[in-house]
Amino acid sequence: MTQLSDSEAVRNDPPTADEVAVVDPSLKPLEATLLVMLASMPLEQLKESLGHLKNSFPSTTFLVATPSDGALTPDLLHSVISIASPNSSWPLSGASFVRAWEIAEEKNVRAILILGPDSGPQISDGLCHLASVVLDLDTDLAMPCYDLPTHAGLVNSAILFPLTRTLFASGSRFPLAIDMGLSRRMAERLATIAKAKGGNLGDTLLWPVNEASVGGFTISESNVGRRILPHPRETDFNSVFAQVIGSLFADVESKAAFWQRPRRVPSPRHLRDDLQDTEGTSDTVRMIEAFRLANTNLQEIWSLVLSPNSLVGLKRLSTLAPNDFRMPESLWSRIVYDFLIAYKLRAINRGHLFGALIPIYLAWVAGHINVTLSGANAEHHIEAVAAAFEADKPYLVSRWRWPDRFNP
Amino acid sequence: MGNMIAILLQSNLSQPLQTRSLEDASIWQHMSEALHQSLYRVLSLLIAVLPGLLAFFVSVLVFALIGMALSSLLRRGLELIHFNDRLSRNRATDDWLPMTSPSAIVARASFWTCLLAGIIIGVAALDASFAATTPIPISMLPYLTHVVGAIFLLVVGSLIARFLARSVLIGAVNAQLQYARFLSLGVKWLVLVLTAAMVLDHLQIGGTIVELAFGILFGGIVLTLALAVGLGSRDLVSRTLESHSEHGADSGTKSQRVQNSTPEEFLRHF
Repeated sequence: MTQLSDSEAVRNDPPTADEVAVVDPSLKPLEATLLVMLASMPLEQLKESLGHLKNSFPSTTFLVATPSDGALTPDLLHSVISIASPNSSWPLSGASFVRAWEIAEEKNVRAILILGPDSGPQISDGLCHLASVVLDLDTDLAMPCYDLPTHAGLVNSAILFPLTRTLFASGSRFPLAIDMGLSRRMAERLATIAKAKGGNLGDTLLWPVNEASVGGFTISESNVGRRILPHPRETDFNSVFAQVIGSLFADVESKAAFWQRPRRVPSPRHLRDDLQDTEGTSDTVRMIEAFRLANTNLQEIWSLVLSPNSLVGLKRLSTLAPNDFRMPESLWSRIVYDFLIAYKLRAINRGHLFGALIPIYLAWVAGHINVTLSGANAEHHIEAVAAAFEADKPYLVSRWRWPDRFNP
Repeated sequence: MGNMIAILLQSNLSQPLQTRSLEDASIWQHMSEALHQSLYRVLSLLIAVLPGLLAFFVSVLVFALIGMALSSLLRRGLELIHFNDRLSRNRATDDWLPMTSPSAIVARASFWTCLLAGIIIGVAALDASFAATTPIPISMLPYLTHVVGAIFLLVVGSLIARFLARSVLIGAVNAQLQYARFLSLGVKWLVLVLTAAMVLDHLQIGGTIVELAFGILFGGIVLTLALAVGLGSRDLVSRTLESHSEHGADSGTKSQRVQNSTPEEFLRHF
């Protein structure tokens, strides 16, 4: 870490974040090996985080960039860069990657560690390890694997993980993680992609795993232990669901030429059996009722999207008793693929498309909860879902290329 | 005697026959005159309108050719400047783009605009030739524009009705409202009735009867929906009111309820 020298005066009234750029140039942060992007936090917590980082990287010079609400104290000026708070709907947006790349370029850093909200002040060793992987092993993208409660991150388990793994042959369990380690060239690519997408960078979601796969970058995954994932700023589930799934579908559509080629399937993950954490109960009956209501009312819309086989499968599912309710993995994968194809074909308005997917997703969640409550390991079930996605990939490729061909 | 009777009979019979034949000849003459005059009028009208008709077809043909050329030019020009890619970067418009590419839409729109212009100019020429030949002034163009406007209103109204019906249906299903389909149908017919009234008003058909019927129908549908939603949501409203009244009275009870609401805390979608 860059140390303060004696000659550097300690000011009584610390400059504000905006003043840092115009005050004495000698007070500006120097070049470093690692850039750590931290979420906004109070000054005391920031100091504590710096202490933890110093312990974690004893022989590495690093800089911290964080949105600071108050003025930085002089002892922080050499190691902390104040940045504007990214006004984004998701914890990690295109704006964060662009800012990270700009600072990395300016300070000539080798690696970037991006840590999302609620990561500190006691930054875990697992999260710090993401930077070590990039620095020591020359990995371009270090993704975390969180130990979440069994019934958390369900959208990720149901759609994001299996779809990303199947199409981009990536073993990353959390493709939309909010913490990651990046090499400089990976950061450059992500910043370029974010800028190219245009629009409001704060609302642009990027898929680093997909970009790394397409760009031929090296990806690794590290277990970072337990992590409290922050809630999205938007409280309405329907709109967050549409934003996240819409972004993934758009990314898949733009990379169709890449994923249609056959690829080696990633080796099955080593699953631990001690992660089961099924305390509490969930209102599966309410979710099943929501699905049944949709099954009664949304047939007209579903028939524009789903294949006849899937429609029959859903009809059968709606007749199951709550205790036996479980969506077959093959049916779920086929449904997601049908929605992906409908997204590409613009069979119906895309806002309506995601709205029509929500009740089926809730049915999957109800089934998943039933599976876990019956004693089965949640990760085993998610692995089975991912395997079903992989087995059904030829169907997706076939319908993507020839959508009008008859598909039962 | 017999001959006499025969002569008398012949003379008696031949007199009315001569008169009848004279009358018949007069009717046929009048009919043929009328037919001749009618045929003459129609033929002269056709001869007078023929240049107008010819002008109509030539105008449509020329403008269709211009439209095709313009469409082709626009398509190539937009592809050169990567118009599709630029537009697809803008996520705000992404949901509204139809299946075909934006450059194809622009090209098609330019073609159909040219064709429409050709039709309007052709109809104007036809209209002018009509006005010059017939004593009764017939003006087709204003009414034709009304018809085109009415068709446009009908198409747009139907699209909006379908879009809103689906939006309401999906929104209501996701909000777990049991009367989702009924609500969706109500909204659909509300928009369709409004569209029909606007179309008839645009075509100047019906006059005040349409306005009156529309008012009654629209009011009826709104009242029905209000009653249905109001009666259907009675439990929901009473629960909300109860929770509000309990909010200030017993904070301890509320905290207990929050602690018990494990399902929501237990489940995390993101």
